Amino acid sequence: MWTVPKPRYRAGLCAEGEIAVNIGGVRVVLFGDVLNRYPDSRLAELLNCSSQNAEVISSLCDDFDPGRKEFYFDRDPDAFKCIIDVYYFDEIHIKSGICPICFIKEMEFWKIDQSVLDECCKSYLNEKEEELKEIASKVKVILEDMEVEQCTTRTQRCQRFLWKLMEKPGSSLPARVIAIASFLSILVSAVVMCVGTIPELQVTDADGKPVEHPTLEAIETTCMLWFTAEFLLRLASSPNKLHFVLSIMNIIDFMAIMPFYVVLSLTYLGTSSMMELANVQQAVQALRIMRIARIFKLARHSSGLQTLTYALKRSLKELGLLLMYMGVGIFVFSALGYTMEQSHPETLFRSIPQSFWWAIITMTTVGYGDIYPKTTLGKCNAAVSFLCGVIAIALPIHPIINNFVVFYNKQKVLETAAKREVELMELKSGREARRKSRN
Amino acid sequence: MEKSLAELNKAASRSTSSLPPEPVDIIRSKSCFRRVRLNVGGLPHEVLWRTLDRLPRTRLGKLRDCNSHESLMEVCDDYNLEENEYFFDRHPGAFTSILNFYRTGKLHMMEEMCALSFSQELDYWGIDEIYLESCCQARYHQKKEQMNEELKREADNLKDREGEEFDNACCAEKRKKLWDLLEKPSSSVAAKILAIISILFIVLSTIALSLNTLPELQGTDEFGQSTDNPQLAHVEAVCIAWFTMEYLLRFLSSPNKWKFFKGPLNVIDLLAILPYYVTIFLTESNKSVLQFQNVRRVVQIFRIMRILRILKLARHSTGLQSLGFTLRRSYNELGLLILFLAMGIMIFSSLVFFAEKDEEDTKFKSIPASFWWATITMTTVGYGDIYPKTLLGKIVGGLCCIAGVLVIALPIPIIVNNFSEFYKEQKRQEKALKRREALERAKRNGSIVSMNLKEAFARSAELMDVVVEKSERPHDNHLSPSRWKWTPKRATSETSSNRSFNAQELGSPSKGRPTSPQRLNVQKLEEMYNQMAKTQSQPNFNAKDRVSRVGKQRDEIELGAIQDHGPPVLGTREGVGDMKSLSSIDSYISCATDFQENPRFLHSPALDLGHQESNCYSYSPATALSQHASAKTGQRTAGEREPMLTPVPVTKSSCTETARKFFFSGNSSKSLTPKGGCHSEGESGPSPLSDSSVMSDHSLLSPGTSVYTTASSRTPPKTPESTTLAPTVFTFHDSSISKYIDADTDDDEHLRDISDTSPSERLLASGSPKRNINKNYQRGANHLEAAQKMLGQNCLFPLEGIRGITHENHIGPEMARRPKVERGRQNTLDKGL
Repeated sequence: MWTVPKPRYRAGLCAEGEIAVNIGGVRVVLFGDVLNRYPDSRLAELLNCSSQNAEVISSLCDDFDPGRKEFYFDRDPDAFKCIIDVYYFDEIHIKSGICPICFIKEMEFWKIDQSVLDECCKSYLNEKEEELKEIASKVKVILEDMEVEQCTTRTQRCQRFLWKLMEKPGSSLPARVIAIASFLSILVSAVVMCVGTIPELQVTDADGKPVEHPTLEAIETTCMLWFTAEFLLRLASSPNKLHFVLSIMNIIDFMAIMPFYVVLSLTYLGTSSMMELANVQQAVQALRIMRIARIFKLARHSSGLQTLTYALKRSLKELGLLLMYMGVGIFVFSALGYTMEQSHPETLFRSIPQSFWWAIITMTTVGYGDIYPKTTLGKCNAAVSFLCGVIAIALPIHPIINNFVVFYNKQKVLETAAKREVELMELKSGREARRKSRN
Repeated sequence: MEKSLAELNKAASRSTSSLPPEPVDIIRSKSCFRRVRLNVGGLPHEVLWRTLDRLPRTRLGKLRDCNSHESLMEVCDDYNLEENEYFFDRHPGAFTSILNFYRTGKLHMMEEMCALSFSQELDYWGIDEIYLESCCQARYHQKKEQMNEELKREADNLKDREGEEFDNACCAEKRKKLWDLLEKPSSSVAAKILAIISILFIVLSTIALSLNTLPELQGTDEFGQSTDNPQLAHVEAVCIAWFTMEYLLRFLSSPNKWKFFKGPLNVIDLLAILPYYVTIFLTESNKSVLQFQNVRRVVQIFRIMRILRILKLARHSTGLQSLGFTLRRSYNELGLLILFLAMGIMIFSSLVFFAEKDEEDTKFKSIPASFWWATITMTTVGYGDIYPKTLLGKIVGGLCCIAGVLVIALPIPIIVNNFSEFYKEQKRQEKALKRREALERAKRNGSIVSMNLKEAFARSAELMDVVVEKSERPHDNHLSPSRWKWTPKRATSETSSNRSFNAQELGSPSKGRPTSPQRLNVQKLEEMYNQMAKTQSQPNFNAKDRVSRVGKQRDEIELGAIQDHGPPVLGTREGVGDMKSLSSIDSYISCATDFQENPRFLHSPALDLGHQESNCYSYSPATALSQHASAKTGQRTAGEREPMLTPVPVTKSSCTETARKFFFSGNSSKSLTPKGGCHSEGESGPSPLSDSSVMSDHSLLSPGTSVYTTASSRTPPKTPESTTLAPTVFTFHDSSISKYIDADTDDDEHLRDISDTSPSERLLASGSPKRNINKNYQRGANHLEAAQKMLGQNCLFPLEGIRGITHENHIGPEMARRPKVERGRQNTLDKGL
């Protein structure tokens, strides 16, 4: 590379085949043949159009000093010093300290393709761009909220009002009250579900089977009615029904409501039609489990839970890794444990699938003590499996935690950034409007 | 470098020697060029006028519209029409991104810029921070919020410390001593011993408490119930007596009773003591009905509360305190952790209940019953009292283990982060506090002098060498002022009355005294040394502040007697002022070193010294100054590039009564001695370089009242007093000061002295002979400066006759932003010292 002539900063008048440029006060003399390596770039164009056509020149640069044959550009000199590297090294590195987004703008001005940016700087750029995208999406949400006032018809306005009431707890006092009520009903229904299973609180029905206490039943029904009403209102007010139906939160809502009605209809059908009672009972049992889904409804009210789901979604790969490590460990150690314990007459390891349980409990360091090795070799195996389990869990968990922490910390900052962005847009649009009115 | 120097000189001479240019010239110059050269802190930029018009209401936009000299001077700091160059005395780094905002319409922030400093720059250039692009905005606001939070915390700390005022009630002295003894274990050996005894008592009482429950050691009372072991009961009583005494003493000595009562540590103390007395009260009052189960149960509860005394250890352990603080601060994350766990427990317990409930003899009888299992499994404790038996249950159990590990691990790093941050902060504060206390202590007993005596002598010898050398080539002198001239960055916005200036003028007694360094021969130095030794041997001379002040006053009075127009009263007052300033300097140094240690304070806009009782104003253009300094040194002195902090606090009392000021430069490359400044001024007389009149004003104002400490170069500043009467006193003070600095700044220091000692000494040496001549001249400058101050800020004043350029100090934004904290801190420090 040392054969290529370097640019001269602050040099005198330029010779033939050279071009003097002044970028925001920094004067550089560049060699024409070097610039021609990228004929599409602004500097090469400037060189090729030469000094004949004044109009072309003024379109390419900001000012031209015919006496000193100097082209003036009103751009950032620091970024230019980096960009000029492309003519010599075919790659660009962003000087530390310059914002990459700003740098890309400069590159666009000099008409240099982004692909020449080196890999090491590209990753940084991508990071920033991702952040920007997130902010943009947040801004979009905020802007959507602000568009409410622009609805024309009355039904639309009603729909908007309802939507805000149900989905945006921060928008008004009633909306907040509704959010709190919904939160409390989730808690109450969860508690009722748990308490309902306590044998002392159950009553026996006509067939001698234990059923839930009628009071609890009533509370449960009330909660379910509330949930249903809430869900329906939301569905009715949503501007985009398909989007609404496909969103995860609403699916959870639906899952929380659905079992109640299915059970209701099944018991009704079961008593009236010829369906076998045992089957109905079983189906009802299975559906009762689905009532647990209502706990996930809490996620709507807690940003921490949303962060958790986001982090888990982002780190699906790591979760898979975790499960794979555990799976491999469980297989290996349960098989080893089983074979080693065979020698003992009163072994607790009766089969390999049965010792899976032991392996899980050991590797996660829970250790109930229902199954434990009795031979020396088996104990050694247990010790090793415990160590491996700790490592197998700790290794993939770190990226997951990292994802969580990063996202958790970023969330608030992004929120404020988005808000400011909206303010800025307002400011800019206001200025634009003023300028227009002046003109 | 030479060239730029010459250029600047030219510019300076233009603005000082000639009349300001007519508006016509300015308009012509502006129409002549399409572009404009902006010199920001030494870094040249070139930009189209058109570009600047894009934001007409910003500072650069206004530059375009300014057509008169005055308005131009309001916008920029200096300009040169021939060169079409405008100078701004600001941070060049930030300006690059700001100029790019004009060019591209996108405001980005340099990565390495401190957010606070950047926001100040934005303020100066008149750009709203809202324009910051979203990619940089996140970072910017994050940093700013962090900063605000820390400042708030600092303010709280200071408020706490400020609360320790003992001037309101009787026997304040004794109470303060008691308070120090009980609350500050590091303040003295006795306090340390007391703290250790207290810890031992806590440990002892907890051990006794646990031993008490051993069945072998318990006795039985008449009802057949187990009672305390009599020996252990005695131990308990002794411990409680100690705790009670400690608490009461603390309470009595506390400066603010209500705050003391509220303090969390004191609440713990109270909770540790109270159960004992309540138990005694209950048992004594219900002796007859003690057999009733209720009373017994209440007593039992109070006995359990005794265990709270283990929390008393928190008083003696920073770690425990920061743990408590962390938990308080990260309650959000803790809530998240509990929420995660609760959800997991709920889900898995109901799942396992449905999986296991059909099993006969199952322990999963209900969902609440299986909560226990889920908790034990999720936290991977696994007692094994309940465990699933069906295949489905086992699968759920396995999932529960993994989910538990995950869910617990997630929020913990955030809490850990909070903890480590706080712990670091705590450590830093502890260190700073210790340093300050050490400073105080050393100042009290003056022990540092003896250590430093030899060193001081050696330094004086060095000085002498330089003196000899200088006297041989006196023409070198004119170089020095150029070095110094940028130092006196000061707030021109100071509002000061002429009266105070007069007073100061009057109070500068020894101005007329001709003293020359050439007279400082070896003999004299030896004399000095002897005197120093004598001083040291007289322990009460400087052993106490008060004593030293008395001595100082005496000196001042004598000085007043020597020179005719200095009334002795003023002299005395000066003595007081001097002491103040000295002490504030000390505190300032400790402060400054704190800042050096902690990088976030490098740009902290406020380093000011406030005197409470004289309600003086103090401005500290610290940020701007450090920027100026680095830029200027770079431009002027080729060799001495030291872009470091130049905190130059100027305290100005507007009260006429206590008219004093001092000036302290913490910078190495600009360490200056007052006389040096004005001497060189006189020496170079009308030369264009002498636009350092501000500085000389400073120095001439108050040789008695101002103390210029060279923070890093260990030169003892040669104030006039030192030459006349008691050089010892000043060398003494100074050496001690520099010693403090030695102790405080440790590493930065040694780098600096090499390059810096000599120039300041050179100045010292060269200046003195002309003092007599300069007297009147300096007077004039003094008045002018006063006038200039009243005119306002951001201005370049061509003072006729004196080539004085007050380099603008755009103090406005800094002032506005300056957290009040700093002043508060200084106040307390002054108090403390």
